[in-house]
Amino acid sequence: MTTPIEQITKRQPQPKRIRRWRVATWAPLMVLVLLCIIVTFINPNFLSFGNLVRITQSAMIPLVLGIGATFIVLMGSIDLSVEGVVTLSAVILSMLVLNGANSNNLGVLAVPIVLFIGSAVGFINGLVHVRLKVPSFMTTLGTWFIALGAANALLGGMSTRINDPFIRGLAVVRFMGFPWGVWLALFCLLLALIIQNYTRLGRYIYALGGGEDLAALSGISTFTVRIATFTLAGAFYAVGGILAAAQLGLGNAQIGTGWLFTTITAVVVGGTSLAGGQGGVLQTLVGVLIVGVLSNGMVLMGVPSSVQIGVQGLMIIAAVALSIDRKLNRIVK
Amino acid sequence: MKNIFAKMGSDSLRQWLPLTTLLILVCIVGVMQPVFLQPSTLLQLASDTAVLFILATGVTFVIMLGGIDLSIQSMASFASVIVALTVARLGFGAFVLAVAIGGVVGLLSGLAHVKLKVPSFIATLATGGVLFSAALVTSKERSITLGEVERSYLTWITGQVWVVPNVIWVGIVVLAIAHVLQAHTRFGRYSAAIGAGEPAAYASGVKVDRQKVLAYILSAGFAALAGVILAGRLASGSPTLAAELLLPSIAAVVVGGTAITGGVGSIWRTLVGALIISVVRIGMTFLGVNIFAQNIVFGAVLIGAVAITIDRSKIPIVK
Repeated sequence: MTTPIEQITKRQPQPKRIRRWRVATWAPLMVLVLLCIIVTFINPNFLSFGNLVRITQSAMIPLVLGIGATFIVLMGSIDLSVEGVVTLSAVILSMLVLNGANSNNLGVLAVPIVLFIGSAVGFINGLVHVRLKVPSFMTTLGTWFIALGAANALLGGMSTRINDPFIRGLAVVRFMGFPWGVWLALFCLLLALIIQNYTRLGRYIYALGGGEDLAALSGISTFTVRIATFTLAGAFYAVGGILAAAQLGLGNAQIGTGWLFTTITAVVVGGTSLAGGQGGVLQTLVGVLIVGVLSNGMVLMGVPSSVQIGVQGLMIIAAVALSIDRKLNRIVK
Repeated sequence: MKNIFAKMGSDSLRQWLPLTTLLILVCIVGVMQPVFLQPSTLLQLASDTAVLFILATGVTFVIMLGGIDLSIQSMASFASVIVALTVARLGFGAFVLAVAIGGVVGLLSGLAHVKLKVPSFIATLATGGVLFSAALVTSKERSITLGEVERSYLTWITGQVWVVPNVIWVGIVVLAIAHVLQAHTRFGRYSAAIGAGEPAAYASGVKVDRQKVLAYILSAGFAALAGVILAGRLASGSPTLAAELLLPSIAAVVVGGTAITGGVGSIWRTLVGALIISVVRIGMTFLGVNIFAQNIVFGAVLIGAVAITIDRSKIPIVK
């Protein structure tokens, strides 16, 4: 039980900020609802259960990747290594489980190994970023290609067919109408929500994004938080890689292509600010659904899929431009 | 003059490190493979470097300002598609058209960055996506090979004057133009000033936004030129023609000694950086490093070079 006095003292520090937050938080959701209504008018099939499953199926990978990226963006950093980690984990997974290229058959055991590799890449990202003091977009641009190169070197230009029933089952076997992969993505969302709202790490991430100098002065070890967050993001990308491999049934060097773009669009469109400190995982869910519904709607309208990347590009610019607080007349580089 | 020497003295290590690295690398590869030091191989090396150098030159202008352009590879690929589609009808006009479109794209991404206050890496990431989409749609998602008649327009790229391939001449012209722009015009000085300290430049009356937009126009324009050259050399255009060139180009700029934080750098350094990248690539090929795995080395080189050249006093909080 909280007494009224406690409530007042809790609320008092930033009354204005809470109000502004509300508008910013609800705008993407309204866009999503509006989008759904428009697409339904154009093609009523949009609301069928089959189409709903299709949307969730296409949204599961961007959701998992977007969750990882959200934590990074909340700190005010950026992670460009998404495609590299996705490719590397998908390729390694495809080589460890029952496959068409070698005699490995680790089954479910391969999953923790892949998660470890994804986290390791994230850990390296974080370590290089804070120890060498290299801006995150440069660090992760480098590791993007390092991971991609490693995946290519492992494959040698080939692709590996996945024959493992468990991995394939993530995309094929359904529970209550939805593939298991979708449930896995939802589980990741729940996990991320807990990390974001109920752990010290989650609080610290917001603190760093809100003002890193203040966070450091308050005794938060910013180095540790940054490294931990990049590691966490790497683990989520690895889950994305597992889902991508399950969906395609293959591990190949192109499996990650395009995911960076979708991920960043989803995070930014959902309303997480690139400056850090504002937004969260639920916003990213909304962003993922906006991107998913839009591309689904475009497919229903017969727009070629190659146009979608362009539309996403414009959405990124629009969303970032709208979310930037012009009162803070800072230097943008 | 005195000032310049003093500056060279204090910064001498940083200044000459890239050139020394290049010479050492050339010696190493030359000792391993004496064929490498023959004039014909060196000319081949130079012509292979030309495209990378032109791309890196464009992005140098943006990096000097403290920004970044991640759309150059999509721009170059799009330019190759434009050339492949229009060269039969427009003749030499196709090349002009491609570069002009590059300029317009640069203008747009510059405006998006400056007017909408979108950070440059995200603005150019987005325009890169739009360009990739445009290239996919215009080329109908396939690679377009140029026929015999169309190839006759490409001799200014594929031919040679004396013994030197024309690509190298184009590279030299680009070097001259870019050097003059960067070192002997107001735009170049202002860029360096903005990179060195944007608030100070702004307070001194420099029209920061205009210089920035100009830098993005140059970056996209040079990227389009690189795409044109690439299309000429490969006699084809495709939406993924330049797909592997973003990382080497940025690495070339940074390895040459231009700081990612802006303010410090020159076109000559980019030339040295591009040559280093090319020699490293050839060295790896001699050593038998898998062509796909070479990205590992370039990624590591990029991070290492950024870590050495970056000016940490400019970014109190590294994000």
